Amino acid sequence: MKAKGDPMKIIILGFGAVGQGVARVLSMKKEYLKSNYDLNPQIVAVTDRSGAAIKEDGLDEELLIKTKNETGKISSYPEYGVHGLSSLKVLGEVEYDCLVEVTPTDIDDGEPARSHILKAMEDGKDVVTSNKGPLALSFQELVDCATSNKVEFKFEASVGGAMPIINFAHENLAGCSIESIYGILNGTTNYILSRMANEGSSYEQTLTEAQEMGIAETDPYQDVEGIDAACKIVILANSVLNLPVTLKDVEVEGISRITAESIALAKKEGLLIKLIGEASPDALEVSPRLVPKGSPFAVEGTLNVATLKTDLADDVTVVGKGAGSVETASAILSDIVSIWKIRK
Amino acid sequence: MRFNLVLDLPDVPGQLLEALEPMGRLGANIVAVIHQRDVKTERGTVPVQITIEGDKETLDRVMGALEAKDIQIMAVDGVLRKEQITTVLVGDIVEEDVKDTVTLLNLLEGVRVADLDLKMSDEPKNSATKIVMEADFGQKKEVLKNIKEIGDQKGFLVINEV
Repeated sequence: MKAKGDPMKIIILGFGAVGQGVARVLSMKKEYLKSNYDLNPQIVAVTDRSGAAIKEDGLDEELLIKTKNETGKISSYPEYGVHGLSSLKVLGEVEYDCLVEVTPTDIDDGEPARSHILKAMEDGKDVVTSNKGPLALSFQELVDCATSNKVEFKFEASVGGAMPIINFAHENLAGCSIESIYGILNGTTNYILSRMANEGSSYEQTLTEAQEMGIAETDPYQDVEGIDAACKIVILANSVLNLPVTLKDVEVEGISRITAESIALAKKEGLLIKLIGEASPDALEVSPRLVPKGSPFAVEGTLNVATLKTDLADDVTVVGKGAGSVETASAILSDIVSIWKIRK
Repeated sequence: MRFNLVLDLPDVPGQLLEALEPMGRLGANIVAVIHQRDVKTERGTVPVQITIEGDKETLDRVMGALEAKDIQIMAVDGVLRKEQITTVLVGDIVEEDVKDTVTLLNLLEGVRVADLDLKMSDEPKNSATKIVMEADFGQKKEVLKNIKEIGDQKGFLVINEV
């Protein structure tokens, strides 16, 4: 239990686009959080590959971002930077309330994020993450650990970036049984398929263009082969449908075999080809599918969309930006606020 | 009693007459025929709405006769009898024999291939086929699964409906 006016001490592990987005929104929303929720978040430590920056009464958000952008190393933070200090050490030594785990996703063993999250929970700390790797590989382990240590574990940002879905399903659709979820859960592939449909261009050509624009990564494997979407399907299956599945249970087909010819044929029939993830008790699948033009799935660009099939509310569809620094941080902030409401 | 039918007729001369013939022959009264040749489906067929009147046995005989003539009955009294399923296959359709694929699909219970469209590519493995099928209503999920299996066997990328 926190006393009135006490700060919420936050450690951010990983200071890439999402980590910096979190620092930015905490700085932007300082007054708002104070007046609306009496929440005074303090970033007490940040780590990246170079080491850490640690300050017990709060690091300066703007200076953190400036330091990272100018030197590439968070350990260069003036006066409070520490070279070579590991994230696990930081978790052991710094006093804090909530871990924000936003290190790069690893889909082979989910590390180091998995260890970070477990360590924090075992120490009785709440955890917010956008990291798909550990969730897709060890969901049940992490949730069990949170339960047995009586801590909050939230991961809204791991699926669909800014698009609300997990907390939405749990809170706004409370009372409904959710039977299945269908969605476009990867912005990069949706961008490529939308461009191919609009321009009639080939897959290779469109991928190169997307890479030049920074929408697709230099190594686009996880996006275009459907792995990223499959991770999100696993997270939704576990968290919303209560299915204890992992990444290996998902049948995955990406978009690299989609041709301009197939898109043209679908178009003639009034259909679009989209990479659709499906989670239901009978199927866990990511594959290219046909959707009618004008349907909720006919979204363009990097947008994400998901339809939840429920017993009482019938179909409910959400749409939102699936990536982006501040957009993803918005989901992390909403998790931080809901933890604060429980703790204060 | 009355039946409101929706038939799906090919757009060639004589088809409407062919569909109406068993109705007259078997003694059903034709109450209405709505036939607009310029309103076509995506596949170029003409949907025709027909209302017939008669006792139950007569109407059942008419339905049997229409089915025997292989006339596509899409709906009866607003209840769909058939639904359309579209799939797109990507791969070397010539090498993997598209005719055989259609035969395999036609062998599926209650499925009839209604339309086929090909788009060849300079690179044979990039070619695509669009297949439109009519299937008995309520079978969609099962049919989609079967299509996937047939496609997988032939090494096609199968793009099914959601």
